[in-house]
This record gives sequence, structure tokens and C-alpha cells, in this order.
Amino acid sequence: MTLKTTVIGAYPKIGEGLDGQELRRALHRHDRGEIGDADLDKVFDEVTRATIGEIEAAGVETINDGQIRWDDLLAPFARSWSGVEAGPLERFYDNNTYYRQPVITGPISTEGRSFVRDFTFARGVAKARLKAAVPGPLTFATLTARDDHYRSLEERVLAVADAIGKEIAGLSAAGAHLIDIEDPAVVAAPRHIELAREAYRRLAGRGHALALVTYFLPPDAVLESLASFPVGVVGIDVRSRDTTAFERLDAFRTQYLLLGVVDARNTRLETAEEVAGYAERALKLVPEERLVLATTTSLEYLPRDVARAKLAALVGGARLVTGEKVIA
Amino acid sequence: MTDNLLLTTTVGSFGKPEYLTKARAQAARGKLGATELEELERKATAEWIRRQEEIGLDVLVDGEMYRGDMVAYFAERLEGFKIGGLVRSYGNRYYHKPVIAGKVARPTPMTVSWFEYAQSLTSKPVKGMLTGPYTLLDWSYNEAYPTRRDAVLALAEIVRDEARDLERAGARYIQIDEPAIHARPEEIEIAIEAMGIVTAGLSAKTISHICYGDFAAIYPQVLDLPVDQLDLAMANYGYRWLELFDRNPFTKELAIGIVDVHAHETETVDVAAEGIRKGLRYVRPEKLWPHPDCGLKTRTVEECVEKCVAVVEATKVVRKELAKVPA
Repeated sequence: MTLKTTVIGAYPKIGEGLDGQELRRALHRHDRGEIGDADLDKVFDEVTRATIGEIEAAGVETINDGQIRWDDLLAPFARSWSGVEAGPLERFYDNNTYYRQPVITGPISTEGRSFVRDFTFARGVAKARLKAAVPGPLTFATLTARDDHYRSLEERVLAVADAIGKEIAGLSAAGAHLIDIEDPAVVAAPRHIELAREAYRRLAGRGHALALVTYFLPPDAVLESLASFPVGVVGIDVRSRDTTAFERLDAFRTQYLLLGVVDARNTRLETAEEVAGYAERALKLVPEERLVLATTTSLEYLPRDVARAKLAALVGGARLVTGEKVIA
Repeated sequence: MTDNLLLTTTVGSFGKPEYLTKARAQAARGKLGATELEELERKATAEWIRRQEEIGLDVLVDGEMYRGDMVAYFAERLEGFKIGGLVRSYGNRYYHKPVIAGKVARPTPMTVSWFEYAQSLTSKPVKGMLTGPYTLLDWSYNEAYPTRRDAVLALAEIVRDEARDLERAGARYIQIDEPAIHARPEEIEIAIEAMGIVTAGLSAKTISHICYGDFAAIYPQVLDLPVDQLDLAMANYGYRWLELFDRNPFTKELAIGIVDVHAHETETVDVAAEGIRKGLRYVRPEKLWPHPDCGLKTRTVEECVEKCVAVVEATKVVRKELAKVPA
């Protein structure tokens, strides 16, 4: 039995060489009105296809579509839902990467089919198990720049949760067996943990397989709380800061633990041995069948060649733990 | 006398003229030589010095015609750095994120000749412009130093040497930008310690520009940053940072951003003037410096001029009001 592996979030959209930059060029041409939406869509699809191929080729067990169409975690949803717009730029947590802050102008609503087309396309391309993703309600609500409609953070979080719930239902109906809910605010703003729990109760009632994925900070302030969230998988980042998480992993009694061990925000490359070392520390308190090794967050924080090397380190580390031979 | 009240300035970068943008692209593809490129950079610098004088700004900048990115420019000139691959900052914008791959060192001064050139073109003071050690680290990948603090302190010595060289070359104002300072609020002590290394012994007025991020998370600790003036984006934030000064009074000079730099449209003079008046509730006019929120490099030359004119005209309005009020 090989230790399971997965990726999180977005994959680099362009590579180094000129032939790796189709999407960048197409977006420029689209901006200048030289190509239409259909041409741009074709490029998005091709880059998505190549990305899926690259992640599969690395040997990752559960893959995603690399979120090639997303310019950040929130904007695609803010643009798709009514009652929200993608507003001014702001720095995304402690990254030199920027996102459009949601601006809420009225009641949020969605049919929940915003990403069904993209997921269906990716599913048609993927050979490996493909998961979907949505932003977490606490992250969306706390990173909102302005809210002209809801009267409190609590109201906003729950309204966003309801919209996310609809998207989850749509993705699930389209065949997503697992949906990542990327919610870094749960660890970045731990004071709202009980509010987050209430939001996840609304999402969980629907019976879909959900992964609450946190990143950028270790879960130290909320680890035991996360272990009682109504989700099947919890993702934690054990690399971005010092953490006591490794000594407390027995808190996860039933959930799968998605352990972010390959640092997706630094070019320094982990060896397979180093990755295996993190896994072995976790295995002291979590059984092998419930442990999944992952990158700490989106690999898009790295250049594409480094992202590819990080995937190799991840998979190499996972194979090392179970004694499989690593092929360099 | 209101001459020394509300001195106007800018944050550092201006939009590049089209001929320079093209030339830089050609140079990047190896189709234009370094000497030819530098000639155009000098031409654009001279144009910006003249424009700033015409607009009536008080303390000038060289406009950074020779820089692309505020971290990569230094990384390309320092030993120990590698130029990394392309990563996205937002939308369809990418940059080469530097990698600290070894011990950092400064073979030669990096900004002094540009400062000297710009200052030679004007009798008004020109600011020396540097990127601070914490931002140099935070916006690079660190493969070489065991901890972030180790890397920041090593970079601080380099920035210190550059600042001293600028001062020796005649700079009366030295700006050491730290836009990443609130990336990890728990590391503010490191940024403060590093800035202490940079500014120790300088007699020039020292300034640090901070933008984009949760300023509230580092206030009031940031008042311990050893510089004379903090330079803050305010218009983009609806001046909400000023409210922090109610509880903990602001103790430094304040360069206050009164026009948003990421919008194509410019605020009216009235709106910009109101921004200055808001600042005056907290900082005395001899310590308050009106300017745009941030560097203007993402704007066209015309938009840059428009925004700077709004700053200067708004300042004239408020200076007049101050002249009527007996001190």
C-alpha cells in the first residue's frame, strides 16, 4: 500500500519557455480585443489539459485541474454570484500575490453551477481521481472589502456558506467525489473558529465528501477544534511556521489527515527522505490509511519547473515511506 | 510663511514612456545593447525631473526608469541571489521572483550613479530610493539562510552600505521601502532591528513607504521603526488607518497618500485636499507630506502627471487655508 498523495489549489499557469506561455499571450490578446472569448476558452482548456497531464505524470494519486481559469481563490466566485463583485486588489495573506477583494452589494445567490462546466471538462481529461475545490466561507467573508447588505460577519459567513453549499451540490452532481474547501482564514483568524464550525455544519448536512483545507499557518491554535468539524478530511500546513501539530495529531480520530509537507512557497527542494521523515512523524499518531501527503498550498507560488520538481519530491517521499523503490 | 508646510513628494516610481517600454522589451530579447538602453533611461529620467519641477513638487525622485521590479533590481546586482522563474502576482502579471541561493554581498553601489545623475539635473532635493531588508527577503525565496531573521539581518548590512554611499553622494533624503512589513506581523521586531542597522549613523532624513496590507496589525509597534518619516497609502483605504492614531498618537512625520494609484481616474483637487485636512487632524503641517498612495509605475505618463498635479494643487488649497489661520 502506497501512502496517498494529493495537490492543493492552483498550479502555475505558465512555464519558462515561450511555448509555455500560451495563456499569458492569449490573455493579452483577449485584452486587446484580438481574440474572442471562444478562442481564449480553447487556450484555457488546453492549458488545463496539459496541467492535469503534468500532475498525473508525477504520480499524484488524487489530482485537481490546477485552477487554470482562476485568477485568485475568491474572484471567480465573486464574479459568478449575484450580489457580489470582485473589488479592489489586496495582498493575499503573507504572499506577494494579490487578489480581488469581494464587495457585497446585495443578497448573495447562485444556481450552484458556476464551475460545473469546467469540472466536467477536467473530468473528461483526467485519468486519475479528480477532486474539485471551492473557497471557504470564513475566508471569503473575512476578506470581503465592503458589505452593503449583511449586518454582521456572522450573517455574511452563513450567507456565503449557503452559496458555497450550492456550488458543492452542483459539483457533486457533476461527479466530484471529493471537494476541497480552501479556508486559510480558519487558521489565520482562529477567533472565529466557532462561527466557521456553524458554517461547516450547513455544508456538511448535504452528505458530500468534503475536505477542509487550511494553509499558510499551522493549525496550532485550533487543531483540536478542527478534529471535530463535520468534514471527512482536514488539511493542515506543517511547514510555514514552527508547529506543535506533530505531537497532537491523535486528535484526528476519524478524519483523513491531509498533511502539507512539501513547501509550495519556497524553491528549496525537499528530498524524498525529508518528505518521508515528515510522514513518519505523523504515522506515530495517525494510521497509514488515513494519512494523505500534500503540498502545503497552491503550487502556483512557485515557477512551473520548480512546481514539477516539488511534485516529484512529494510522490518520491510517499513511496519511500512504504518501502517502494524510488526511481530518480 | 507656509513654504515649509505640507511639502509634496511622490513614492518613487513613475510610468515609463512608450519608447522606453519598447526599448526594455528589445533589450530583454537581446536586440538592444546596454549602452543604448541606458541612454534612453537617462533621457526618460531627465524628462521626469523636468516634469516634476513643472508640476511644482518639492522633493523629487528619479522615477526609477531603470528599474522593473523593486526587489529584482537589487537582486540582479547582489551576489548570492539567483534570478528565479516567473510567478504570477495577480491577474495576468508575472515577475521573476529572486532566489537567495548563497551568502549575499554587494559588489558595487547599485543606485548611487542614478541618484547623482538625477540630482545633477535639478536644484530641488532628490530622494535616494532603496528597498528595505525585510521586503527583500519576504519577496524572495530563501534557500540559503537557516532562518528568515538571519537573511534579513544579512540584507540589512547591504542596504546600510548603499544608504551610506547615497548619503556620501549628497542625498539629504533616503527612502527605504518596506511594503512587506506587515506580511507577518509577528516578525515586526525583525524588520525594526534590520532598519536599525540600515539607518544607524545616517544624518539624512529617513523615510519608509508601507502599503498594501493590514497596517492595523503592526500599529503602534511600527512607530519603533527607526526612520523619521512613514509613508502610507491612505486614499485607497478611505483614510481608515488615521483612526488608529486616536488611541496611539502618531509620533513621526507622515507622508500621506491622497490619490489612489490603481485607478485610471484621478481624484478631484477638492477630494485630495480633504485627504490632507484629515491628516492635519493628527499631524502638524510641517510634518505632513502629501503624495500619491504608492509608486505610479503602473500608470501612463499622462495619468502620473494628472495625479501629481492633483497632489500639488490640493496642497496649495490647504496651504492657503493654513496661512489664514493664526498659528
